[in-house]
Amino acid sequence: MINGVMMTLAGMLVIVITLGLSPSAAYAQAETVCIECHAAQTGRTGEPVRQWQTSIHAENGISCHNCHGGDPKDTPNAMSPARGFLGAPKEADIPAFCGQCHVGIKVEYLASAHGKALGRGGPTCVTCHGSHGIKRVTLDIINEKTCSQCHSYERAAEIKEAMRLTERHITDIGAQLGKLKGKGIETEAQEKKLFSERNRYHRLFHDVDTGRVKAESAGINKELEKIDGWLTGFADTFYKRKLAGGIAVGSALLAALLFHLLMKTYE
Amino acid sequence: MEKQGRRRFLITCIGGLAAAGTAAIAYPLLTYLSPKKAVSTRRAVEIPETDISEGKAKFFEYEGKTAVIIKAKGTVHAFSAVCTHLGCIVQWEKEKGQFLCPCHAGRFSADGEVISGPPPRPLEKLPVAMRDGKIIVG
Amino acid sequence: MGILKKVYNWIDVRIGAGELVEKELTGYLLPRNINVWYSMGSILLCVLTLQIITGCLLLIYYVPDAEKAYQSVNTIMNQVPFGWLIRYCHAVGSNMMVMVLLCHMLSVLFMGSYKRPREMNWLSGFTLFNLVLLICLTGYLLPWSQLSFWATTVATNSMGSIPYVGDYMVEFLRGGKLVGPTTLGRFFALHAAVLPIVIAAVVGLHLFILQRVGISTPPFGRDETRITWKGESYAYESHAGGIPFFPNYLLQDLTSISIYFAIFMAVVFFDPYIFYPETSFMPADRLQTPAHIKPEWYFLANYQALKIFPSEFLGIMVQAAAMTFLALLPFIDRSPERHPLKRPLFLALAIGGILLWIALGIWGHYS
Repeated sequence: MINGVMMTLAGMLVIVITLGLSPSAAYAQAETVCIECHAAQTGRTGEPVRQWQTSIHAENGISCHNCHGGDPKDTPNAMSPARGFLGAPKEADIPAFCGQCHVGIKVEYLASAHGKALGRGGPTCVTCHGSHGIKRVTLDIINEKTCSQCHSYERAAEIKEAMRLTERHITDIGAQLGKLKGKGIETEAQEKKLFSERNRYHRLFHDVDTGRVKAESAGINKELEKIDGWLTGFADTFYKRKLAGGIAVGSALLAALLFHLLMKTYE
Repeated sequence: MEKQGRRRFLITCIGGLAAAGTAAIAYPLLTYLSPKKAVSTRRAVEIPETDISEGKAKFFEYEGKTAVIIKAKGTVHAFSAVCTHLGCIVQWEKEKGQFLCPCHAGRFSADGEVISGPPPRPLEKLPVAMRDGKIIVG
Repeated sequence: MGILKKVYNWIDVRIGAGELVEKELTGYLLPRNINVWYSMGSILLCVLTLQIITGCLLLIYYVPDAEKAYQSVNTIMNQVPFGWLIRYCHAVGSNMMVMVLLCHMLSVLFMGSYKRPREMNWLSGFTLFNLVLLICLTGYLLPWSQLSFWATTVATNSMGSIPYVGDYMVEFLRGGKLVGPTTLGRFFALHAAVLPIVIAAVVGLHLFILQRVGISTPPFGRDETRITWKGESYAYESHAGGIPFFPNYLLQDLTSISIYFAIFMAVVFFDPYIFYPETSFMPADRLQTPAHIKPEWYFLANYQALKIFPSEFLGIMVQAAAMTFLALLPFIDRSPERHPLKRPLFLALAIGGILLWIALGIWGHYS
C-alpha cells in the first residue's frame, strides 16, 4: 500500500522536476538565405549584415529582401532580377529606394532644396541617416558636422531649435506609454496616434522649411496634448488604486489586531 | 466581568469590520459580473430597398434583438421577430404569407396579428419609413 | 434571537450539530504550547479558496484558444471593471501560496512534526506541494504571452534529455512538435479541471489524517522532546488539559490570516509587477524568443541546477533523487528526537539545503 503511494509519488516527482525548466531555449528567428551567406563572408560583402543586426530595421523585423528584393528562401535564385532583386541603388535612386516604404518622407524630401539638388551634389537619405546600421532617429542627426559638409550650420540650427520642444514632447510621451504598456495597460490606440503624429512631424522636417515647421507644430502639439490628457487620466486611476489598496491593507491589519485582542480574552 | 465587556466590544468591532469588508468585496465583484452597458441609443437600421422583393422577408438585428421586414402587397412592414409567447424567433412562410413560430406553432398574419396558437399578443410593430431608395427601421 | 435559536434547535435535533461542535471544535484540544507556525495550514486553506474563487471569475472572460487567449486576458485587464484586480489576486496569490507552503513545510521540518505517527501527513502534504507546483506551471501558459509561451517551451523541452523516450514525452506533453494551440488545450484542462479536483481531494485527505492523528506538540519549552507514542491510543487524545481549537486557536488562525492578507494586498495594489516582467504583457510570438526568459522564482534553483551538471539527464536524476529523499524523509529519519537543537546533523543538513536552494536561485536569476 505504502509502496504504491511511493511509486506514484516518485513518478510524479520525476515529472515535476523534469518540468523544472532546462536552459536550452533553442528557437531563434528563422534566418533568410541572404543572411546565411553574407554573414559568413568577411570584408565588404559581410559588413552590411553586421551593421544591420544593430539597426532599428532589424529590431522591427525588416530584413534584406524587404528593401533589396530577391528571394530570401531560394539560394540559387536569391539575387535574380527575375525575383525582384534590386541590388544596391545608384545615388540618384536612393530616395526612391528608401521611399518604397517611407512614402511621405520621400514626397517632402523631393520637394525640398535637398531633394531638388539630388544628383547635383545634394544629400540623399543615407548622407544623414546612414544605410544598413540605421538607428531610430533623434534630433542629434542635425549637427554641425553633418550639415556643414555642404553648407553653413545656421539654418539647420534654426530648424533644430524650432523642433526641439515638440520632439522632446513626443519622446517623453513615447517613454510614458512604454512604461504603462509594461504594466499591462492597453496603449495600442494611443501609440498609433503618437506614431502618426511623429510621422507627420518628421515628414514635415524633410521639407527643411523653418516657417512650416513652426506653423504646423501648434497643430501637432494639440494632438499630443490629447495623449497627455489620456496619460493623466491613468495616473489618476493608479492613484485611486493605491488609495484603495492602502485602505485594504490597513483594514486587514486592524482585523489582525482585533482578532489578537479577542484571543487574549480567552486565555 | 470586565473581560466579558471587552470581549463583547471586540466582537462588535470585528462584526462591523466584516460588514465593511463584505461591502468592499461585493462592489467590485458585482461590477465585474454585470453585463456591459449597451452603448447604442435608439439607432435606426437602413436597408436598401433592392434587398427585399414582394412576398419576401429579411431578418436583421435591431437594438440587440432580431427583427424582420416583409413586403406584402407593395407595402413594407417591420416587426420584432420575437414571438410573444416564449421568445422564439418566428419564421416567414412565403407561400402562406404568414409568420410561424417553430416552438409551439403560433401563427401570425402579415400584419402581425395572432391567427392561431398560444401567442397572447400580436408581434411588436416597429416604425418603418422609406427614404431615397432605403428602408429605414426605427 | 428567538428565531435563530429555534432554527439552530431544529437542525441540532436532527443532525446533532451541538455534539459535533463539542467533539470536533470546542472539545478538540490542542497542545498548550502551540505556536503561530501551526496556523500556516489555515492560511493555505484560505489562499486555496481565494485561488478557486478568482479562478472561476477569470473563467468567465478567459477564452482558452491560442488565437484569442491573449486578447481575452488583455480585455480582463483593461475593459472589464476590476478585472485587473481579479487577475492580480490570482497571479500574486499563486506566488504567495508557494511561499506560505514553503513556510509550512519548513516549520514541519524544524519541529520534527513529520515523524511518527505523522508520516502520512508528510506524504500527503508533500504530494500537495508537487501538485501546487504543477498547477502553477500549467497556469503560466494560459495568458499566452511571450513569457508564458517561451517559459513553457523551455520547461517542456527539458523532458527531451531523458534517454530513448524523452523526445516522445516532449511531444506528448505539448500535443505536437512545438508548443502551440494543442498545448494550450492540455494545460487548460489540467489547470482548470483536473488539478483543482485532485488538489481538493488530497487537501481533504490531508485534513482527515490531521484530524485523526492529531496535531503534534511543539518541541519548544518542554523537557521531554522525544516521541513517546507507542501506538496504544490515537495521538490526538494525548493533549489532555490543552486549549480548545474553538475559539482559542481559531482566533490565532484568523489573526495570522489577516496578517497574510495585509501582505498579500500590499503586493496586489502596490507592486504586482514583481511577478510580472514586461514580457508577460506581450502576445506570444513563436518566431521570436525574447531575451532573458527565466522561470518563476520557485523554479530558479531547479533551472540553475540543470545547467551546472555536465548532462541534463544527470541534472534531472540528481534532482529527482533529492525530491525522493525529501518525500521519504519520515522513513529515513527515524530518531524519536524532535527538538531541532538536539538534532545537529539534521539542522546542519536542513540549513545547508536551504542556503543551497537560495544560492542556486540567485545564481539562476543573474546567470
